[in-house]
Amino acid sequence: MSDVISTEGLGMPVEVGAIDGELKKLWEADEASTNASLMNFLVYTEDPKQLIKNSETIQKLTRANSCRAVLIAMDREAKKSSLQAWITAHCHLAHGKKSICAEQISFLLSGYSMGRLRNTVFAHLNSDLPLVFWWQGDFSDLFEERLYRLLDRLIFDSASWRDPKASFRRLVEAREETKGEIVTQDLSWTRSYFYRLAVARLFDDPKAQKSFPKLEEVKIKAHPDHRMAALLLLSWVITRSGWKVESGQGDEWTASSEEGNPITINLEWDEDAAPLAELSMSAPGCKVRISREKENLHLCQSVCVDGHCVDLSGPADSDDPEGLVASQLSRGGKNSLYLHVLPRFRELLEMGG
Amino acid sequence: MSNPFREDLVSRNLAEACSVVIFGATGDLTHRKLIPALYNLAGDGELPAGVQILGFARRDWSDEFFREGLEKQNRKVSRTGHDDEIWECLAASIHYHQSEFQDEDGYRRLAERLDEIDRERGEKGNRLFYIASAPEFFDDILLNLKKAGLSQDRPDGEGCWSRVIVEKPFGTTLATAQHLNEVVNGTFQEKDTYRIDHYLGKETAQNIMVLRFANAIFEPMWNKEHIDHIQITCAEHLGMEGGRGGYYDKAGALRDMVQNHLLQLLSLVAMEPPTDLTADGVRDEKVKVIRSLRQWDTPELVAENVIRGQYLAGNINGEEVPGYCAEDRVNPESETEAYVALRCMVDTWRWSGVPFYVRMGKRLPKKATEISIHFKETPSVLFNAMPGGVPAGNVLVIRIQPDEGISLRMNSKLPGTTLRMEPVKMDFHYASSFGTSSPEAYERLLLDAMAGDATLFARRDEVEEAWRFIDNIENVWHESDNSPPMAEFPAGSWGPREADELLAKDGRTWRRL
Repeated sequence: MSDVISTEGLGMPVEVGAIDGELKKLWEADEASTNASLMNFLVYTEDPKQLIKNSETIQKLTRANSCRAVLIAMDREAKKSSLQAWITAHCHLAHGKKSICAEQISFLLSGYSMGRLRNTVFAHLNSDLPLVFWWQGDFSDLFEERLYRLLDRLIFDSASWRDPKASFRRLVEAREETKGEIVTQDLSWTRSYFYRLAVARLFDDPKAQKSFPKLEEVKIKAHPDHRMAALLLLSWVITRSGWKVESGQGDEWTASSEEGNPITINLEWDEDAAPLAELSMSAPGCKVRISREKENLHLCQSVCVDGHCVDLSGPADSDDPEGLVASQLSRGGKNSLYLHVLPRFRELLEMGG
Repeated sequence: MSNPFREDLVSRNLAEACSVVIFGATGDLTHRKLIPALYNLAGDGELPAGVQILGFARRDWSDEFFREGLEKQNRKVSRTGHDDEIWECLAASIHYHQSEFQDEDGYRRLAERLDEIDRERGEKGNRLFYIASAPEFFDDILLNLKKAGLSQDRPDGEGCWSRVIVEKPFGTTLATAQHLNEVVNGTFQEKDTYRIDHYLGKETAQNIMVLRFANAIFEPMWNKEHIDHIQITCAEHLGMEGGRGGYYDKAGALRDMVQNHLLQLLSLVAMEPPTDLTADGVRDEKVKVIRSLRQWDTPELVAENVIRGQYLAGNINGEEVPGYCAEDRVNPESETEAYVALRCMVDTWRWSGVPFYVRMGKRLPKKATEISIHFKETPSVLFNAMPGGVPAGNVLVIRIQPDEGISLRMNSKLPGTTLRMEPVKMDFHYASSFGTSSPEAYERLLLDAMAGDATLFARRDEVEEAWRFIDNIENVWHESDNSPPMAEFPAGSWGPREADELLAKDGRTWRRL
């Protein structure tokens, strides 16, 4: 790392001790803008090159999520310790009229120093507002108890983890240490939101429901980069169905239903497909299928029971992390379903899925 | 059996697949509100699989012609824009059924067609009838639905249901509302009857209960000890454009807006905390408020507490506009009010002595609906004992439309070496804080009806109690020898002087919007 990174687009460079004063001046200089904030939104990366991209992401996110954004990039490999800061505001016209702005403070921390991340976060929060923390990449040793105790919501993307087993282990430990107080949000889980909604929607059909105990095959097709999303979706199907995974090899498993019927489960990978490209569930005389073409904004949904077919179209989840974050922020909630599914998911992961 | 995939997925009652039959399908409401609402639900993935939409109207249209007209309008008005892929899926489930509302055979054919659709689609036969026709056809539609066997849950259906949504106006007097309720309840069960008031589907109206009962700071102060008075204002800048004078001149502001929307808002503000959030839990408390309204039933009481008015020619946004009696389809000798202001008293322990001032008017300076809670002044010591006292009392404002939000006015010291105070406003705007657009009221309400959740719909006793209150005033206006006179005001102003005097005699003024 330690290459010179571009900081253009981060706004005005400021002394760390003068951030509050400079922000005040920023707002006083523009009487036409309204400063809106519903939360503290922190984005942390250990790849300094992401700083500019994260600023662009905040520009998009603040269209619908007013916040104080704090971007922190840590260059842990730099030999010399330093701390640089910038401030700016992202403004959007609300309904074509009023200019609504969200302030952003960016930090570039160089050199390794335990506790500096935590202290930088503590020092620049807007009081009384919730703290949403988007941790990008694997959980490092800086993901420590005195930091995560402070968080209201932790966002991460398990698709970006180099060592998912280790990071999931760290996450579970953190939740145990905090007695489950952190709301966790895995973007790989969010990627399957509309798939899950579609499955539920199609099984609202009473005839499809009757076929549910007779399900004998489940197939998921996904992009290989989104293995976590596919496994999470599969874990949800298994957990909700009350199935027991009997055996597995590679991307194939055998499960048994509560009635003792065998179910074959397959994961397929396709480099040219959407992150989650297809989920199909079959029983004699019944087929539920949800699919998505690459980059298409909709899910095709169909349920066929005893020759009667219903085709539907529904929304698909965003492909971009910022789109997923935005939809998650707009939904809120404690995300308890994810936590419910997590043990089964980790089981599949450990089995080599 | 239940759907295992639904568990923990969404925190609302489950909308079930059904056939939605819209009476008055060629009308404005269907094109501008109902179909765009169903389209947005489909686009958001909220519309249950297997929903079929059947428009019922008199004109001789084909399925195709009906769909084309709906698509054209949806492109113009849909909240989320128009996506061809979503529309195609939805359009495939839209059908048109031609019949006169009085034609029994048309309903028999409707029943056959619904059965055929259910067979084709393998659906179990849930039906949601939406009566969006002109009110004079309500009776015919309901009675013919009954005769065709469409109004009751089918004995052969496995847990299937038949529900009806009835649009406003739900009656024009207490007697007509009671008659309509008799017809409705003779046709559908009360639990399957959904009297729609789209104000209750608005985000801020739903937020009133959250504001009151999910925030510890407000409820302890929400009573006569701390609140001086409450104002509910519904201002419209429009007059009788688009031929609406024909309907409006028969109804008037009191019947058209106060009986339903504004009394519903009043009841949400004044109700006691419900024991639970079930439909009847909430509606039990709302109806107690309406029932506790002090009745204005003599000419003296009406003169003292109610002001009616008509606008004269004037100017709005730089445009000359005619007076009410010169409007299109309005009787030049009309005695119908286009403005009304009332002092309402809710005779409960909580609200004893606290007036609720309610006003509604056409051709006012701007469009705005809001509720303002005016708190009592601080005791006459410290700052309040100084010359001039404090500049203004605290006011909590709940803006229903447009620019939905909540603001709180409080007093603050002006910077400087002297002690001077000015009111400041803490302001929360939905649009600024939550950039995503709220669903249209009809989206929420249609979904609720499909889910069997009647919380945001009016119950029979609520409607009748509201009419009882309104009827007393209407009777004095129209049947008494010494009814109070009609006040006048120039279009574009904030209503007649008499309405200002209604508050002035209590030592109060209308809030400036």
